[in-house]
Amino acid sequence: MTAIVEIDGQTGRLLLSGQFDFSAHRDFRQACDEVLGAAGVNEVLVDFQQVDYLDSSALGMLLLLKEKAAAAGKTLALVNCRDTVRQVLEIACFGKIFTIR
Amino acid sequence: MKVLLADDAEVVRLLIGRFVESLGHQLILANDGIEAVEQCMAEQPDMVLMDMLMPRLDGPEAGRQIKQRMSARWVPIVLITAVEEVTKLADAMEIGADDYLLKPVNFRILEAKIKAIERTVELNRKVREQAEKLAGYFDRAEEEKRVARHLMEQLVNRERLSDPQLHSWIAPAESLSGDLVAAARTPGQVLHLMLADGIGHGLTAALNVLPLTQPFYAMTERGFALTDILMEMHRKVRQVLPVGRFVAVAFVAVDFVKRTIEVWNGGIPELQLYDDRGGVLKRWPSRHLPLGILPIDALELETERYQFNRRANLVLCSDGLLEARNEFGEAFGVTRLGLACGGRPAAEALTRTVDMLSDFLGGASCHDDVSLAIVDLDPDAVLPLPEHVEVGELPQIAGEARWRYVLSLGAEELKTLHTVPLIMGFISQVKPLTQAHADIFLILTELFVNAVDHGLLELSSDIKEGTDGMEVYLAERARRLVALREGRVEIELAGYDLGGRTMLRIRVADSGAGFDWSWQEAPDNLRPSGRGIALVNALCASLRFFGNGNTVEACYLTRQAL
Repeated sequence: MTAIVEIDGQTGRLLLSGQFDFSAHRDFRQACDEVLGAAGVNEVLVDFQQVDYLDSSALGMLLLLKEKAAAAGKTLALVNCRDTVRQVLEIACFGKIFTIR
Repeated sequence: MKVLLADDAEVVRLLIGRFVESLGHQLILANDGIEAVEQCMAEQPDMVLMDMLMPRLDGPEAGRQIKQRMSARWVPIVLITAVEEVTKLADAMEIGADDYLLKPVNFRILEAKIKAIERTVELNRKVREQAEKLAGYFDRAEEEKRVARHLMEQLVNRERLSDPQLHSWIAPAESLSGDLVAAARTPGQVLHLMLADGIGHGLTAALNVLPLTQPFYAMTERGFALTDILMEMHRKVRQVLPVGRFVAVAFVAVDFVKRTIEVWNGGIPELQLYDDRGGVLKRWPSRHLPLGILPIDALELETERYQFNRRANLVLCSDGLLEARNEFGEAFGVTRLGLACGGRPAAEALTRTVDMLSDFLGGASCHDDVSLAIVDLDPDAVLPLPEHVEVGELPQIAGEARWRYVLSLGAEELKTLHTVPLIMGFISQVKPLTQAHADIFLILTELFVNAVDHGLLELSSDIKEGTDGMEVYLAERARRLVALREGRVEIELAGYDLGGRTMLRIRVADSGAGFDWSWQEAPDNLRPSGRGIALVNALCASLRFFGNGNTVEACYLTRQAL
């Protein structure tokens, strides 16, 4: 998986692509630190447009990001989820604690 | 470096030897091939410089022997050769030699060659060192896994999975499974079944699901309800796991007597209920977040209930099964699961699913843990009512009770305490009653629930009739319990010695207006409450009501030791 950070004004976008699983751990963490550390960003979007698969360890990483974003006082949303991704998020009922658009 | 120099000409040994020593290396000398091999074994040099032609054993053959004997360690061999012997060089290098030098020896080249070899030797040493380290890690990891596997197996209580109504299967992606299937019966014979899936797989995933086992078994044994056990498991997971770690859990309670299923699903793929013709009777999609994510008091405990009337297969599986992919990247999916599990006996459904998955994968391995549990919902799988224990004339209880346990609960306590498990905690400490836990649990539950539901809350059993009856009844019960302001239930247990057996007297009294117990004379086995009291009657030596029906006394006699 690759994780690219795009900053547009107050919005920081994490563009993920490929398989989001445990092997993405390091890349994802680095990208998270980068987007949360960017000056002026108060909204973080995780963009799943290019993600074709995610597993339970990816869900764990999202929980960690949620915690970090909350501690930094930034809002977080998961966007552009395709069917396979949406399905995994639905089974875990992540809609109850994440904004999914 | 330690350098072995083998040459039969003394002048060469002197000349090259001096030069090698002048470069700061340690020198060992040999006069011919045989000596060279012997010195090599004895001194373990880092490299060998050897003349091509020597008496007794020539350079190439000595090189072959050295390589053979030093098999584990790489010792570079450089042959010193005259121009006219060059044709033999190729053969020599095929069987052992690594490099050569032409005579007359150019010292500038010799020095460069030694340096080059030194670099390679160093590299070789590092690789070997790392390989040894790696082998060490591997051994340690294997040992740790072995211990962890043993621990898991002990904690998971494999033998309890041998419930006659349950068929289950787990295939770990690695040597340890992050999936867990656990099952146990409450003292009232309700089957508790849990399928849990921790994050990832292998050891860390296995560690995630471990905190669930202790509350599951201990509380089921004491007769706690599904939601109480869930709450405790959630608390444990929150306590011991770091942020970002959670466990998806499906928890099912099957009461074969009342023919009800209670389901809580947090993060496990839809549970399916297939009838005996393969149709889907009901699905339970995940409605909750997995355990370990929400704060302790924010866990949602709503469960779903279902009444079953005919034989069906309740199927639970982890996402590892549905998402197992074949070589074309196609997922196993719920349609295949339905084909394998619907319309056939549960045991066959399980083996069929396992076979279908293995055919589907065609030798490929799963990237995630796979677990599957099938409950055979057989309405006839009810233990028959125990034979009424004929004791003839009930002996007069004479003398003092050996012990007495009295509990008096007001409205607030009735709302919050887990009364029956609480008393069972005490009963489990009384030695002579060890074999009677299940019986006592049933009697206590029935009498206590009767006192609260019918005595204090004045609920009528008629509400339970109809398809949603149980649901309506429980909702109404919850509503009235919350509204309860006054009321009291007194419970007294007393133990007597009776000719080597123990007589347990249970009295339950409520402050209600009393209830009509005329139904007791004609218990209808199909009516849950009627069946309940008939069961108590069958288990006890005597069952009597007093006053206007708000005091009941049951005498239970432990069975004769076989």
